[in-house]
Amino acid sequence: MPTAAEESIDAFQHYYSRPPERPKSRSWKQVIYDPEEKTYCGRTVDSWAKIGIFYTAFYGVLAALVAICMWVFFQTLDPRIPKWTLDRSIIGTNPGLGFRPLPPSDNVESTLIWYKGTQHENYKHWTDSLDEFLAVYKVPGLTPGRGQNIYNCDYNQPPPKGQVCDVDIKTWNPCTKENNYSYHKSSPCVFLKLNKIYGWIPEYYNDSKDLPDDMPTSLKTYIGEVEKSQNHKLNTIWVSCEGENPADQENIGPVNYLPIRGFPGYFYPYQNSEGYLSPLVAVHFERPKRGIIINIECKAWARNILHDRKERLGSVHFELLID
Amino acid sequence: MALRSDFEHGRADSYRIATVIPTDDDNRTADGHLKSKRRMPPKPAKKENLEDLKQELDIDFHKVTPEELYQRFQTHPENGLSHAKAKENLERDGPNALTPPKQTPEWVKFCKNLFGGFAMLLWIGAILCFVAYSILASTSEEPSDDNLYLGIVLSAVVIVTGIFSYYQESKSSKIMESFKNMVPQFATVIREGEKLTLRAEDLVLGDVVEVKFGDRIPADIRIIEARNFKVDNSSLTGESEPQSRGPEFTHENPLETKNLAFFSTNAVEGTAKGVVISCGDHTVMGRIAGLASGLDTGETPIAKEIHHFIHLITGVAVFLGVTFFVIAFILGYHWLDAVIFLIGIIVANVPEGLLATVTVCLTLTAKRMASKNCLVKNLEAVETLGSTSTICSDKTGTLTQNRMTVAHMWFDNQIIEADTTEDQSGVQYDRTSPGFKALSRIATLCNRAEFKGGQEGVPILKKEVSGDASEAALLKCMELALGDVMNIRKRNRKIAEIPFNSTNKYQVSIHETEDPSDPRYLLVMKGAPERILERCSTIFINGKEKVLDEEMKEAFNNAYMELGGLGERVLGFCDFMLPSDKYPTGFKFNTDDVNFPIDNLRFVGLMSMIDPPRAAVPDAVAKCRSAGIKVIMVTGDHPITAKAIAKSVGIISEGNETVEDIAQRLNIPVSEVNPREAKAAVVHGAELRDVTPEQLDDILRYHTEIVFARTSPQQKLIIVEGCQRMGAIVAVTGDGVNDSPALKKADIGVAMGIAGSDVSKQAADMILLDDNFASIVTGVEEGRLIFDNLKKSIAYTLTSNIPEISPFLAFILCDIPLPLGTVTILCIDLGTDMVPAISLAYEEAESDIMKRRPRSPLFDKLVNERLISMAYGQIGMIQAAAGFFVYFVIMAENGFLPMKLFGIRKMWDSKAVNDLTDSYGQEWTYRDRKTLEYTCHTAFFVSIVVVQWADLIICKTRRNSVFQQGMRNWALNFGLVFETVLAAFLSYCPGMDKGLRMYPLKFVWWLPAIPFMLAIFIYDEIRRFYLRRNPGGWLEQETYY
Repeated sequence: MPTAAEESIDAFQHYYSRPPERPKSRSWKQVIYDPEEKTYCGRTVDSWAKIGIFYTAFYGVLAALVAICMWVFFQTLDPRIPKWTLDRSIIGTNPGLGFRPLPPSDNVESTLIWYKGTQHENYKHWTDSLDEFLAVYKVPGLTPGRGQNIYNCDYNQPPPKGQVCDVDIKTWNPCTKENNYSYHKSSPCVFLKLNKIYGWIPEYYNDSKDLPDDMPTSLKTYIGEVEKSQNHKLNTIWVSCEGENPADQENIGPVNYLPIRGFPGYFYPYQNSEGYLSPLVAVHFERPKRGIIINIECKAWARNILHDRKERLGSVHFELLID
Repeated sequence: MALRSDFEHGRADSYRIATVIPTDDDNRTADGHLKSKRRMPPKPAKKENLEDLKQELDIDFHKVTPEELYQRFQTHPENGLSHAKAKENLERDGPNALTPPKQTPEWVKFCKNLFGGFAMLLWIGAILCFVAYSILASTSEEPSDDNLYLGIVLSAVVIVTGIFSYYQESKSSKIMESFKNMVPQFATVIREGEKLTLRAEDLVLGDVVEVKFGDRIPADIRIIEARNFKVDNSSLTGESEPQSRGPEFTHENPLETKNLAFFSTNAVEGTAKGVVISCGDHTVMGRIAGLASGLDTGETPIAKEIHHFIHLITGVAVFLGVTFFVIAFILGYHWLDAVIFLIGIIVANVPEGLLATVTVCLTLTAKRMASKNCLVKNLEAVETLGSTSTICSDKTGTLTQNRMTVAHMWFDNQIIEADTTEDQSGVQYDRTSPGFKALSRIATLCNRAEFKGGQEGVPILKKEVSGDASEAALLKCMELALGDVMNIRKRNRKIAEIPFNSTNKYQVSIHETEDPSDPRYLLVMKGAPERILERCSTIFINGKEKVLDEEMKEAFNNAYMELGGLGERVLGFCDFMLPSDKYPTGFKFNTDDVNFPIDNLRFVGLMSMIDPPRAAVPDAVAKCRSAGIKVIMVTGDHPITAKAIAKSVGIISEGNETVEDIAQRLNIPVSEVNPREAKAAVVHGAELRDVTPEQLDDILRYHTEIVFARTSPQQKLIIVEGCQRMGAIVAVTGDGVNDSPALKKADIGVAMGIAGSDVSKQAADMILLDDNFASIVTGVEEGRLIFDNLKKSIAYTLTSNIPEISPFLAFILCDIPLPLGTVTILCIDLGTDMVPAISLAYEEAESDIMKRRPRSPLFDKLVNERLISMAYGQIGMIQAAAGFFVYFVIMAENGFLPMKLFGIRKMWDSKAVNDLTDSYGQEWTYRDRKTLEYTCHTAFFVSIVVVQWADLIICKTRRNSVFQQGMRNWALNFGLVFETVLAAFLSYCPGMDKGLRMYPLKFVWWLPAIPFMLAIFIYDEIRRFYLRRNPGGWLEQETYY
């Protein structure tokens, strides 16, 4: 029985045979299939099968592991309530605004509403996309669960749990489908909506004496009027649309808000109830200047909505160009 | 041409043969592949160089008459050159100094670091970033500065790593500068009849110089006057014996003739005067140094491995990058987006920190080796030693102690072994017998060697001695045995002396005895044993003087043969008490015309000396052999001595016979022995001169234990080339200038720190600070360990490439929001992965790495497909799964269930979309969902860190269980803590959201990666369990890297 040392020395005796020849560089054909060694891409069929089975098993087990982890994880989720809400979630408590119609989807980076008011074909995209957007508002059946739980909400009549409020868009003349949302008259309607954040409760500007300095005067006046005439409607998230720059402010012309200048407070908090639809404000630009791009910024106003033009917080930006 | 003058010229000519032998390196390996692609063009230059060398050696300065010589140089033996002529010559020929080897300019080195390796790929990435940014900046009003930012980060990364490697490189080259001889050398020159002391650099052709013992010869000189002049040519020819030199022309060969002395050899005895015949680079030494610097060394094995690896990774990066660039186009992405994908893929694919990691690992090992007396000049050489499969070792000084020591004595008709160990731990012998007393008296008195002054504290054996090596050995032996030798000599005053000369081969001295009552003089003699015996008629045995009969002569012969057979230098000793009637006190002894008896003396005994092996060497050789490294001894010494040392250190192991041994045993002529039967071989330099490369290959192949004796050390070059032809990675040790071509040619040249010449240190890659062979073994061990550990480190680093690149692929192919950003990738590669990867360099070896064969440079790659398969195909995939799981968890917990994410990318990344709906009907502004995305990046990053914990632990071992290996590597444990703390810092430190887009994570988001971490750990433990249980099995073939 040789000792370990002897064995290793014996092994070393064999070492000085010439090192085996380096595999010759093979042609591409041989790399793919070498008839001599019966190898495909360097492995025999047998070897490919073995490594194939190994990796199939390996990835099978890995997939199973991922599946188990996912399954366990989904057990912790609620289908209606996000795991984290408001400040605990990254969405935070500062909703932004959205506008419709959006430019075509292949131009997703753009916020420009650009059409020629005289040609139906030209503004068709905009009206069609509004039709599509508003369809759920018109036909309750399109939204799953909407219908039986619609509640006729009002400021003093907030919806009970599980019920949702109705948004009646049919009466918002001239911003109706029948009127082509007034696009053909070169005085387009743009629909605004406030981003839904689960459980978010607005803090209203419901006192005309306590309004922020940067709020547009027209809105301040409006709130003052509401305060006088329809005091109960003060719990509204107010909306303002203005040109971004002095030139834009000149070009934008008079702006009309339908049905009221804001989102009624009874829509909040959003609780992912079945059939819930966001309240809308249709902004009617009555006489925008033609042939020039108008940068428009719309803002939502509540005490707990901060504004940041660059980050589009509490606001939305779009451009209007009517040829 | 080379063989023209073989036979008349004797062995010194082997130098010429050696350097012109037609086995030129054709820059191909054994199997015909190019060894290096880099330096083909200088090829012809080398040939010329060789040719040049040979021709210029045909000088005739030694043949012409002195008068013609003076004529030629317009000089005068007494007055020397005129100052004017000297000045003229100096201006014409330049200073008498070796041109230092050409240095690569610093800026070129810097640029190599700045643009080599992965740097180019990263530069491309950075440039693409700048291009993308400038295009964006010129087309859009508010360009995001992401690309600019990334471009700057990438450039910074490249520049910082470049500066880092440059710094490391220049630091190791600075080590060399400390070796440069700072002390200027001076020479005594006669000019215009005046003796001047000039700096050696200022010597010119024709100068008449005076040299005395202890000087270094300042240039090649023809000797015109000499008194007892001896030079030590060992650094030139390897002959360790001092050689006498005089004005007479004795040999055609310039190296052999007595009237030439060569630049940078040492004068050991006497004085001489000579005419400078060549200077600086034209000297013999200068030409060898020039030859060495012209030799192509090729890449180090580790550099080849790293290049191989860089090519592999770059190939993958470029392939993936271009593929996805095209795919992105086909999918209809804007070309600028496609470019940004390309950048992402490059950044994800390139392990940015890896080259720095490798450099640090090598530096750490180099430091560790330096502390064990192996100074590494070139970082990459650290590993070369580990892959070494053949060591061609010098004998003198490396394997042996480089000092003659008395090994045996023969008196009273028995051989006594003396203690030769360095620390006097060996056997002791009886010092009281009359035989020893008589012998020691002769050895003490008939001896001119003396200890040099000022060495009080030094152990006797280590003291420096002035005088001949054998006498020094006797002196030390006697000092050890008797005590104060100088005092004994004082008490036995020397009256007369005939010094040793080569015709007499004996040395005689006459002393007063220390016994004041005895008026007789004592005559003591030592010399070549047979000559001494001739002069004796009686022999002193067991205290009695006996007639020297045939029986005693037989006994003497046996002893002489036995000691000679041990390779030892044997001296005979005899004495004689001169009768006081014939030689009364005050007798005038005449040593020139001998007037006292030097025949019919009393023989006392023999003493034999050898340069004994260093204590640690046999063990080191055994370690080398069990490590599969062939140790070849190459020495200028006699075959018998070489063989004896080889046997005593185990280079020829016990029981292995040479052809000659077999012939002797079977009593048949050497020619009838089948050389294949002999495992050992002692090859004489003279034989080596005649062999063809094929025969040399045969010798190297069929004999496992080889000693090349009597080789002119230049033949080392042939031997090295022979070994390299066999596919071996060769380490060569050497100390002389003449060794430098072999040192340069070797894969790793090892110079001696103490005995080595500057030129050899220049040519070497590594320097043994203690000149000890055993230090090489530690070097081998460290080299092998670092190779293993680099594999582990690379496996660890590469693994995280998959979780880095897969997010990009998913981003492009599945249209999901990007799960991991480029900046976070850089945070992994250059942040959290760095310290753990480096810490693997501190990992202990898994098994005895000195019990396995050297790696085969052809098949055992640093990065092989199994490592890639493991890192990319298996562990990397689990890591990617962990990352994506965390990503989906965070997305889902915030509202985006996985199914919602697919196809959402365009909307997600559009600034225009300010109200993206999630699975819970919530609508997200651009900023919020970007925050969500970056939080996912952070979480993905953190989950990579978590799974890298397990990866680090499994990378500690390639075969063993971590439970066997333990967690004793504190650097690695620190690495685990470090990466975690860094990840936490990057995530939670305020301001990181602005700087690196890293957001704080909820604690629970650290957890989803844990099951995957455990999976990695368990999977790999199981895999390694099967590896250990089925060695050589399928799993090993496919997954053992």
